[in-house]
Amino acid sequence: MFEHDDDALNRMIDRLREPVEMDPRLDTRVMARVAAPGFGARAALVWEWLRRPRAVAISPIAGLGLAAAAAVLIWVLPTHTSQPPSLPATDITPVQFVVVAPGAESVSLVGDFNDWDARLTPMRAERDGRLWTVTIPLPAGRHRYAFLVNGARWLADPSAPRAPDDFGTPSSVVTVGG
Amino acid sequence: MTIVHRVATLALAAALFLTGVARAQDPRLVHRLDSSTTAAVGELLDSARTAGLPVEPLVQRALEGAAKHAEPDRIVAAVRRLAGELGVARAALGRESSPAELDAGASALRAGVRPEDLTLLRQRRTQSLTVALAALTDLVVGGVPPDSAASAVLALAARARDDQIADFRRAVERDIALGATPAAAAAVRVDATLHEATNAAANPNTPRKP
Repeated sequence: MFEHDDDALNRMIDRLREPVEMDPRLDTRVMARVAAPGFGARAALVWEWLRRPRAVAISPIAGLGLAAAAAVLIWVLPTHTSQPPSLPATDITPVQFVVVAPGAESVSLVGDFNDWDARLTPMRAERDGRLWTVTIPLPAGRHRYAFLVNGARWLADPSAPRAPDDFGTPSSVVTVGG
Repeated sequence: MTIVHRVATLALAAALFLTGVARAQDPRLVHRLDSSTTAAVGELLDSARTAGLPVEPLVQRALEGAAKHAEPDRIVAAVRRLAGELGVARAALGRESSPAELDAGASALRAGVRPEDLTLLRQRRTQSLTVALAALTDLVVGGVPPDSAASAVLALAARARDDQIADFRRAVERDIALGATPAAAAAVRVDATLHEATNAAANPNTPRKP
């Protein structure tokens, strides 16, 4: 039994003494892993790169170009002031405006609902051109307006309350709601 | 820092500053008013914005002046006056007032209604005041003395709905057109409207007038 054990032991020793064949690229791979930084180390490197002051050469014309590009970007961003607030559909009421202007070639409805722009709400002639009408949706509230006849003569609405006048021409008010 | 850097930095700062100035000005005004009027109105808008007042009524007043080819000084004066009225209206109606209420309140003040009456109206009416203030203004503009008009609307404030107050205003105007004195028309119609409002509150299932 002991002889058997000695033989087995000697075979194991011989086997262990045999040289082990290893992948020739093992050293390279191990060293690459050791040299590679972790996430924290990479972040530190990036932060260091960002913080390090450096001289950047830029021509005056390129500087102006960058400034112009920045100005254009800021200019095209949407602003709150130019966007009217959206209103629920239930707050919008169609309102008909009527004025008698015989002989007029054009009549426009102009008011704070169309930024006082005479081009935006032309009225339509009816009954041989004496009666001019238009119907527009208006939000709830109090609106100032006037009629502009032939692009030159301002008329208040005779069927509506007068608005206080600041500019020497008549205006009217309509209250929507109630 | 080299001279090149300084030039580039100054150019960028100047562009950003000019862009900021242009952004602060409403583009609707820029296109309709000359530059000096736009700047003067823009300062008033900035002040109003800082004070928490609505600026849209001020923009519209300037646009009205531009549409009517008013003199620049007159446009600026009109915007300044309206800004002041909005401020008084806000003081009378409270800081929680909506822009529409402040606009209507400013119109009431311009017509001759006292700020104290605006405050009383706020205290008595829980709903929005826009229609009530508009009716009050229209009554005064139509010839009803401010005290009588305020008394009538204040009497209706607690019970009447907006449509009842608007009907009241139309009835008074109709009576005036038919020859009644404004004060008498308001006094008579307020009793009828108050009676109707009281009945409507007692019988909520009663259908409204079309």
